[in-house]
Amino acid sequence: MIEIKNVSKSYVKGKKSIDNLNLEIKNGEIFGFLGPNGAGKTTTIRMITGILDADEGEILIDGNNIKKNPLKAKKSFGFVPDSPDMFLKLKGIEYLNFMADIYDIDVQSRKNKIEELTKKFEIYENLNEQIQSYSHGMRQKIVICGALLSEPKNWILDEPMTGLDPKSSFDLKEMMRMHAKSGKTVFFSTHILEVAEKLCDRVGIINKGKLVFVGTFEALKEKFKENGSLEELFLEITEKG
Amino acid sequence: MKKVIALTNVFLKSSFSNYNSKMGIQTGSKKKLPKVLYFILILYLIAIFAFLSYNLIDGFIKIHQEKVFIGMILFGIIGFAAFQSIFSSINSLYFTKDSEFILPLPLKPYQIISARTIVLILLEYIIEFFIGFVPLVMYGYQTGSGILYYITMLIALILIPIFPILLVSTVIMIIMSFARFAKNKNRFQIIATILALILIIAISLASGSISGEMTNEQMAQMLMKANGMLELIKGYFPSLDFLVNALTSENIFVVAIEIIKTFLITGVAFGIYLFIANKIYLKGLVGNLFSGNSRKTKIRLKENDYKNSKLYKTYIGKEFKILARNPVFLMQCLAPAIFIPIIMIGIVYLQTNSIQKEGFQLLFSVINVNSIQIASIVLGIIEFFTMFIYISITAISRDGSNAVFIKYIPVSLYKQYIYKIVPNMIMSLFSIVITLIIAQIILKFNISVLIAIFAVSSLMSLFQSMLMIIIDLKRPKLEWDSEYAVVKQNFNLIFPVIIGLVNIGILALVTVFFKNLSIYISLGVLVLVFTLATYFANRYLYKNQEELARKIY
Repeated sequence: MIEIKNVSKSYVKGKKSIDNLNLEIKNGEIFGFLGPNGAGKTTTIRMITGILDADEGEILIDGNNIKKNPLKAKKSFGFVPDSPDMFLKLKGIEYLNFMADIYDIDVQSRKNKIEELTKKFEIYENLNEQIQSYSHGMRQKIVICGALLSEPKNWILDEPMTGLDPKSSFDLKEMMRMHAKSGKTVFFSTHILEVAEKLCDRVGIINKGKLVFVGTFEALKEKFKENGSLEELFLEITEKG
Repeated sequence: MKKVIALTNVFLKSSFSNYNSKMGIQTGSKKKLPKVLYFILILYLIAIFAFLSYNLIDGFIKIHQEKVFIGMILFGIIGFAAFQSIFSSINSLYFTKDSEFILPLPLKPYQIISARTIVLILLEYIIEFFIGFVPLVMYGYQTGSGILYYITMLIALILIPIFPILLVSTVIMIIMSFARFAKNKNRFQIIATILALILIIAISLASGSISGEMTNEQMAQMLMKANGMLELIKGYFPSLDFLVNALTSENIFVVAIEIIKTFLITGVAFGIYLFIANKIYLKGLVGNLFSGNSRKTKIRLKENDYKNSKLYKTYIGKEFKILARNPVFLMQCLAPAIFIPIIMIGIVYLQTNSIQKEGFQLLFSVINVNSIQIASIVLGIIEFFTMFIYISITAISRDGSNAVFIKYIPVSLYKQYIYKIVPNMIMSLFSIVITLIIAQIILKFNISVLIAIFAVSSLMSLFQSMLMIIIDLKRPKLEWDSEYAVVKQNFNLIFPVIIGLVNIGILALVTVFFKNLSIYISLGVLVLVFTLATYFANRYLYKNQEELARKIY
């Protein structure tokens, strides 16, 4: 469970990048975070994961405050950042072993999990190569594998579908569904409205640092009945906001 | 030409892409502090170079050989430009991140290469300001030179680095045209750098030997003549000879002819360079960008590939792997720790003739080797060697945009900082041990003195490593276009030199104040000083671990 309470953040004095954000992502829920470029999605995710400090408010992950109890909070989520260009000089297997050591995963569990995840994403055969030689999509997959290795309760994914081929994208969506079904949380940002519509239990739309809508997609459509397509719907909300 | 200027502008901006670009969160008063600091540091450097030059010129004036100083400085600039551009041009021409974006643009190879080369030359001018401008101005002042000298000096400083940069870049382009045949890009980059190094040394040695071997009598005659030593410098680079003639002459016609000759030779060299570049640059660049990537080894994993390790082992191992597998980091961070002491001591040994060696042996048998003065000299040498180990000062910056990783994993930031400075400590210990082994062979210290020197130097390195990561955390350079920018175009790299000089100052103070006390007391004081310094640096790192990481996001 992720709780964001009255969170604000400014990069420049007097200009709030995130303005009094309140959100609660419950266990068993897939939550899609939408918004135009520069709306504050990545800043929000960076605050949730402890990369950035909020100026005001608090963020709790499974009840642990990310600022006051960071190690416990960080142990309870797996994070996929927006750029998958990480540790390019390490081999795939070295990166996964490194992540497994960080999260204290024993040999047998890591072997099973690495095989399961990398076979699913079809990168098992490439694990002995340096990540540098991977394509963008493969890099995205190895980062996802690294984040999910410790079987974290909360998944926080920043644009996870970027660069994935249709099969891997389908598999990841299936995994997200299964994860939520088992009572755990998925929080992800995306630009793809269709993905949000088909996958999310609820969505949040952020614009200019303010949350302009939270609810189910059905509620969203109901609220803006007159709009035909998803794009038009999205444009109306963000432009009005 | 318009396109070349536009490209040069873009490349220059990305070269100087400031690590303060994310400092918008700071208030106005805080922003001013670094500028003042930069100014003080630059003044400090100018003062050091001016002071050294003054003493050197003064010495040369006393033996009527002052003009050799001009030759030395110009020779130094050429040597430095050639050596520096082996690393900078291979990175800037072939390994910058923006190459993939530049290639699809409607640009001719000569336009790209011209812009890249102009940037290389402009960046060289920054270093040239310290190693060339300041000393030559001092020369002008001490010899009472007129306006003609200063104008010639400026033209000389503009022209002098161009020829060696073009020569090195041509050699690199030729080597890199074979990049498409390389299976392993990283290995190829290391081999190409070493090959370029060997070739450049071979070319300069060959051009030096063309000017002819000298007999002992000829050399003695040359040294007897006023400014005869100048002849020793000539014959290595064509533009060097012309500019030395121009700067040492007071005849305006001689100056004009020599400058025109330099312009001509530089212009012709640039023309030939662009002609070659037009033929082979793109082939090499494309070959380098897209070869090797298709290589799929598909080696099946073995049972022991899924090994678990203690956190500190896996983290430090990861740091070492990244350093060793990246050719730029390998050459700039790891290699100096081993090679600088060996090369420097080797050069001193080879340059010292047998009579001098016997003299030194006699001297060491007469003086008390186990004195604080000798120990301080050895410690100073160690300090000098370890200040070029750039692991800790780039520990955060090397990770680039990936540096945020340290903030979202469940490992305390303090622990990660310590893991990141361990490679610096290990490589420093290499340097310390190599230097102490050589020092022991020559000086034959008491074992207890040797151990005490080892303890002081280790503590000094630990303190320095901690301070360096604090500086990198406070001023991280996370946005870079090539790894080279982190280890060369990074203002932070001045701090190891400053701190090194401060440490040497502490050694000098202890030597002066405790010269009449036992060496053990003096070294004990040093152990105490550096233990305390390390303790406070460590305390600061621990207490401010969160605050220090604020600029990483």
